Amino acid sequence: MNFNSTGNNFGAGTISFRSHQEENFVVLNAKFTYNPESPEYQAADVLEIYVPDLSIDRSAISGVFLRFRDVRDSYGYTWDNSGGTVVKSWIKDKNTLCIEKFPNFDEKGEITIYILALYTMLARGGNPIKGTKVRLQTSQETQYLRWGSDTFFVEFENWIFLHMQFGSCTYAYRDSPWECNLDNLPSGITADLPFCGGGNQYNPSVDGISEAHIENGVFTCQTRTAGFEDTGHDPFIFAFLVRDVEE
Amino acid sequence: MQALPSIAFGGFSGSAKGVTARQVGGRTILSVKSFPTGQTTVAQVVRRASLTKISKSYKLLSDSQMLEWERLAEHCSGASVFGQKAKLTGANLYVRLNANRVMAGEAIISDAPASQVAVPNVSYSQVAITPQLIVFSGIDHESSPYKLVVKMSGSQSAGISNGWSKTVIISSEVEDDWGEADVTKLYLKTIGVEPTPGQKVFIESYWVDTSTGFTGQIFKDSVIVTGESSFTPRKRVTMDRLNPNYEQHVSAIEVDFSSAAPVVQYDVMCLGHSNVASSEVNLEDDLPVELQGTSWAIGRGNGEDGKIVAQSYVMWLYGARYGDPAKITFAHRGGYYVKPTEVFGPGVIY
Repeated sequence: MNFNSTGNNFGAGTISFRSHQEENFVVLNAKFTYNPESPEYQAADVLEIYVPDLSIDRSAISGVFLRFRDVRDSYGYTWDNSGGTVVKSWIKDKNTLCIEKFPNFDEKGEITIYILALYTMLARGGNPIKGTKVRLQTSQETQYLRWGSDTFFVEFENWIFLHMQFGSCTYAYRDSPWECNLDNLPSGITADLPFCGGGNQYNPSVDGISEAHIENGVFTCQTRTAGFEDTGHDPFIFAFLVRDVEE
Repeated sequence: MQALPSIAFGGFSGSAKGVTARQVGGRTILSVKSFPTGQTTVAQVVRRASLTKISKSYKLLSDSQMLEWERLAEHCSGASVFGQKAKLTGANLYVRLNANRVMAGEAIISDAPASQVAVPNVSYSQVAITPQLIVFSGIDHESSPYKLVVKMSGSQSAGISNGWSKTVIISSEVEDDWGEADVTKLYLKTIGVEPTPGQKVFIESYWVDTSTGFTGQIFKDSVIVTGESSFTPRKRVTMDRLNPNYEQHVSAIEVDFSSAAPVVQYDVMCLGHSNVASSEVNLEDDLPVELQGTSWAIGRGNGEDGKIVAQSYVMWLYGARYGDPAKITFAHRGGYYVKPTEVFGPGVIY
């Protein structure tokens, strides 16, 4: 089910959501920006997004991604030191989605939030339901991208959990736009994804965050942050994704 | 006592010996001075001092503020006596609402709430009372500004059918944890003795709207104390359920298996160990087969050096085996590894 927010307390515009909602959990997908200099943001203690009735009236904590842009020119070379981290988010009541206010990067200007999260209730009187892990199969005409063994999805009828772990890229393609087929990805997935990882020389408290996109079973990533392939900063994607299927 | 000319019609007021007469809303109320039968508790002293302070503070209000309290009081009524509801004055209402607020840990408000507000009624599925455990379960949660007030009595004879006058406030700010509220410590602190199996405990509970001081309807209940509890706590791993005979690599842990959804819920501060990018906890109790498996969650660095890197973690949930206790391993996967890292949120399990 898709819906738009009815308001917020931090000066962002209308936010469009894709959702799958059940009686004890919801999966929400959205991407939006806000200006940390706005008076509404500065007055808020917790970022609140007001939404039409959700199927649950509160949730446990989940995580959403916060990304800032930090692109610098140095001796004719562009250094993309964009980065970010994960911040806490929860459903306060049927009509209010909350996001932890995380001011560490407010001086960077516009902030992007990626909500690719599942929000669950607790004490529902039953055990967790186990899913099935499926290895994500990828292909390219010229194979220049290699993915780690922790690249998989867990499929449900109306949503999936996706984890992708970058392995390596053929040197000649390191600065090219990337594209690869996700051969067995379930249908109906369209999303912008934070691609977390890689060293961040100018913002050492965090890793870099690049942006990838999935649509029609094709993964694309136009550019990566500087330090993307730094050792020990393993880039990954972590997302609960709503499938566009008839409900 | 001052006898007025209209005494024949009930119009008198004043005190004589132990009897006080007063006029309230056209009614004559006679009351006998009461003397405390038991030892005054600290809580009673605090409450009485608080009421005195609130009463005195009313006199400091401006005329317009008093007028607003009077206006609101016209729309509120006191307890019904012989079918006739008592009228409240502005001062009565001011004291009543502020007493509720103060009891719930809030400050006194000078301005009257804009209007009377409806407060939800208490609803729960069970109260289990044993000498060792007193827990409410299935509470219909109400978010802030509502707080749950619980009053309970000491153990009474099972034959008593009306013992709610013996209840005292156990807590004025009970917070349920996903519908469960364990009030054992609060009960023992207030009542002083464990409930006795076979006897009856009387309970009153209501929500208070802490923003205004208005309360919901009082829900009256009574429960026979049992020797063993029928309450089954939800399945989760917390610090007090780790095996004390083993080294643990977390400073805080809450792993909750009660979602009945395709996820386990995590909130764990992983400290790491040795030179391995993972943390382990050994459990006191075994992990049933249906909760064993592999799971994933997100993490955020909480390093002393200020690193707040986003990371992904895989969890392996093992049952007891080969003489070793059940165990959960939190292994770092994506992003730069930071010690410590908070692993939180829902994780699929397979």
